[in-house]
Amino acid sequence: MGRSDSLTKLAWAYGKHMARRRLTRAPSQLKDLLDTYAADGIVPLQPAERSRHPQLIGCINCGLCALAAGRIGRTRLPDMASSYMRLYARLAEASSDLSGDEPDFEAAAAACPVGVPLAEVAAIVRRLSAG
Amino acid sequence: MSREPVHPSAHDVCVVGGGVTGAGVARDLALRGLSVLLLEKGDWGAGTSGSSSWMIHGGPRYLEFDWDTTQLSCQDAGHIVTIARNMVYRVVFIIPVLPNDRNNIERMETAMEVYDRFQPLKKAHPHRRLTADEARQVEPGLSPDVIGAVTMEEWGVDPHRLVFANVQDAVAHGARALNHTRVVDLVRDGGKVIGVRYQGPDGTTSEARARVVVNATGPWSGQIGAMAGVPVKLRPAKGIHIVYPHRISNFSISAESVDGRDLLMVSHAGFTLLGTTDDDFYGDLDSTDVLEDEVEYLLQGIERVFPSIRSYRPVRTTTGVRPTLFKWRKYEDELSRRYEVIDHSTEGVDGFVTIAGGKLSMYRLMAEETSDAVCRKLGHQARCTTAKRPLPGSESDLEPAEQLAERHRISALAATKLQSRHGSNAEKVLSELDSGRLLCRCEPIAEAELVYAVRHEQVRGLTDAFRRVGLAAGPCAGAACVMRASAVIGRELGWSASQRFDAAREFVRGSWLGRAPVLGNSGWAQEELTRGALRGLNL
Repeated sequence: MGRSDSLTKLAWAYGKHMARRRLTRAPSQLKDLLDTYAADGIVPLQPAERSRHPQLIGCINCGLCALAAGRIGRTRLPDMASSYMRLYARLAEASSDLSGDEPDFEAAAAACPVGVPLAEVAAIVRRLSAG
Repeated sequence: MSREPVHPSAHDVCVVGGGVTGAGVARDLALRGLSVLLLEKGDWGAGTSGSSSWMIHGGPRYLEFDWDTTQLSCQDAGHIVTIARNMVYRVVFIIPVLPNDRNNIERMETAMEVYDRFQPLKKAHPHRRLTADEARQVEPGLSPDVIGAVTMEEWGVDPHRLVFANVQDAVAHGARALNHTRVVDLVRDGGKVIGVRYQGPDGTTSEARARVVVNATGPWSGQIGAMAGVPVKLRPAKGIHIVYPHRISNFSISAESVDGRDLLMVSHAGFTLLGTTDDDFYGDLDSTDVLEDEVEYLLQGIERVFPSIRSYRPVRTTTGVRPTLFKWRKYEDELSRRYEVIDHSTEGVDGFVTIAGGKLSMYRLMAEETSDAVCRKLGHQARCTTAKRPLPGSESDLEPAEQLAERHRISALAATKLQSRHGSNAEKVLSELDSGRLLCRCEPIAEAELVYAVRHEQVRGLTDAFRRVGLAAGPCAGAACVMRASAVIGRELGWSASQRFDAAREFVRGSWLGRAPVLGNSGWAQEELTRGALRGLNL
């Protein structure tokens, strides 16, 4: 099937699409989209998370925060900031790693040489791991 | 799966090339009961397969000029998604539309409506249409100029693991598979190819006889064809990707480049791939560098729809060469991704078959048709079973990661990651070593997994470990794990202390080549930390 054949078919499909758009009013598909992919862990970041996101994922895994503060649940803080911040879609399967005690995020963030806001990181990781 | 001693041998078929197509051919033929030798000059999937976009996709852009490729691709993607069900994951694209885009929202939705006809073939959902506000609810980082969007679903896969699963299954059904083994010549008897001469990793040269030799070497097909005295005409095209060590968004994003091509920012398991370029390539296939111009081309395209992209720190780049079929007077992007099975007996060279062209999403079908051609030549009657037979690790459902983690004293996240590589074989992998130690914390990788990879998955060095278990693939670029991993591999392979040291240094120097084109401010901070941590290597 060549290019002209393909374009003809697309043109026909376009005509049908435009006729349908003129005759019917399509409802919002946003909820449908989010419901479809929630089970796969594909959920949106919130606007506040998005605007801070480059800072939230800035961890260079130096380990200094682990010296300044304890663990979040069973998880070392550098692991939370590096590996848990990478795997959003499957975080729900690892939520048990993060449940439990909260460390002193202020002390941990003060020790961070690249300024990762660890309390905010914990909040986003916990939100996404809650499913 | 251990390396066997190199010795002269006789086989029904020798497959040259251990990318996804060669591995798929070897698996298909082994399942049909033929004796197969599979040879790869580097590591499994180290060439074009490994530098792909990591997607099993149908290719909606081919709808403009080649519906057959879209249909075939979707059909075979459906088979791959079935047989590799524990290795694949959904990738959902937002395709934002800007006021002056080549395709307005109605044309874009029309294309997706057409593509929806093929989506059920690969078990994917139909598209959705979003207003500008809705699109920014789904991805708040989209440009305020976006006037609407449609969505599209594809599948993601780790191509290194997909290739290796095929190799593994071929070996389980009697094939011999040797990586780091280069074919240096074809053995000929008059006009007929009757075998290969190959050099193993220790430098020794051996010979293997085969009734048919299959050339599945992708962009290197011309070089192997020349050994048989036949031309294999390709139009190789170079493509690069920028790798970010995080999911920048849970949704993947499509954008238009300055020359109107489609660019993709693809959200994979724990990282993001931004690509790709598509340029005619005439250079050395074994030495493809990434240029800063190519990096800028990708960033320029994506920042129109996702303005904060330059705030993110890339960790490296990848580059590969597509084995596109030759066509004159076409732009690279318009070249078909079709494939061709060439029986060279029509050119007077019997016993030699080449599979050229194609794409990752159709590898199984390409392998089936190549195997059919081989079986016809051998008069061997056996049907292809690869469309239904699961690959290793996808035979049964996954158990909850938390249970696996608890039994083996690792984090649930590490168990999740391990399952994404080994599927239902994760228990077997972790049972290889009674240790809850994590070698790499940012990927994360259990020590047991690396030991398993050395003992059973032909890992012979740190670069092999990068492909097989994701070593040093995370944000720290190996600062914390390279020396540990070298010690573990060295312990298994009997390396001396200086060999372990040399292996680590070689790995860090090699990976620098892919990082250099994308180091920005924070990239240099990471680099300094890595170099400081590894200062003993005298980099």
